[in-house]
Amino acid sequence: MKISELVKKTGLKAINESEDKTIEGVYISDMASDIITNAKANMLLITLQTHKTLIAAANLIDVAAIVFVKGKKPGNDVVDLATKVGIALFSTEDDTWTFASKLTRLGIQ
Amino acid sequence: MTACNHKWEMIDILYGYLVVEGCPRCGGRTSFFSTEAVAPIDEYKEGDHFWIYLGSSQAVKFNLKCTKCNEIVHLDDLMGLMMSTCDRPQCEVANIAKSAGKGSSVYVALCADSTHSSGKCISEKGIDALNQYFNQNIKTPEKKILVVPCSKCCGIDVCEGIVIADVGLTDIY
Repeated sequence: MKISELVKKTGLKAINESEDKTIEGVYISDMASDIITNAKANMLLITLQTHKTLIAAANLIDVAAIVFVKGKKPGNDVVDLATKVGIALFSTEDDTWTFASKLTRLGIQ
Repeated sequence: MTACNHKWEMIDILYGYLVVEGCPRCGGRTSFFSTEAVAPIDEYKEGDHFWIYLGSSQAVKFNLKCTKCNEIVHLDDLMGLMMSTCDRPQCEVANIAKSAGKGSSVYVALCADSTHSSGKCISEKGIDALNQYFNQNIKTPEKKILVVPCSKCCGIDVCEGIVIADVGLTDIY
């Protein structure tokens, strides 16, 4: 599923502008060390973390987009870094479980 | 005999702590990986050094294995990876990043001995395997990861970058 389609179906709020990539899976994690060993390219990363370290880890793996749950929003330096490396950032008011359930109902796993 | 076009996978994945120590006598830094439940904070003498605990973060260690030829590259010396954001003109890493161009990101492979007094850093074989591993999985066209050894940094205390380690992340929960 394209990111743009996902945005329409889940009401995600875009934080930056980026390429409309195809999501090929989902990974949920708040730890950079976990992301670099388990996430895969073009995955959607769901996290509560807004630290710059997550962008460094996500970029290494070529994560397509990051969704910050519970209305979390990263600082400008984090947004600038994500934009520079082509990672789309989104925010949702949902908690991790609620948003992950939405993805499952949409057939994204 | 043709060389293997390696397809690497992570093996021997260990989660633990990256512990950083400093010697106030020489200003040197050293680090090691600990899989203990709590990061050790011992102070001890080692030759002319007196190592004191500076900090720790949750981190991961791994080796790489080729799924085609079964070659294993041990990354015992790899303490972590740092995404370079350095722009100091005298920094070799910054210059590599500048010449790498758009779509490229430079990551510094950090070894245990920041002073490189032993003359050792991450092995060339390890750097090659890390470059192949991270680039083999990229799907974004024109995107490239460049992994370089920390011996190319302008100085471990001044070279700017984002270390991939879980330190301070939970402060904002």
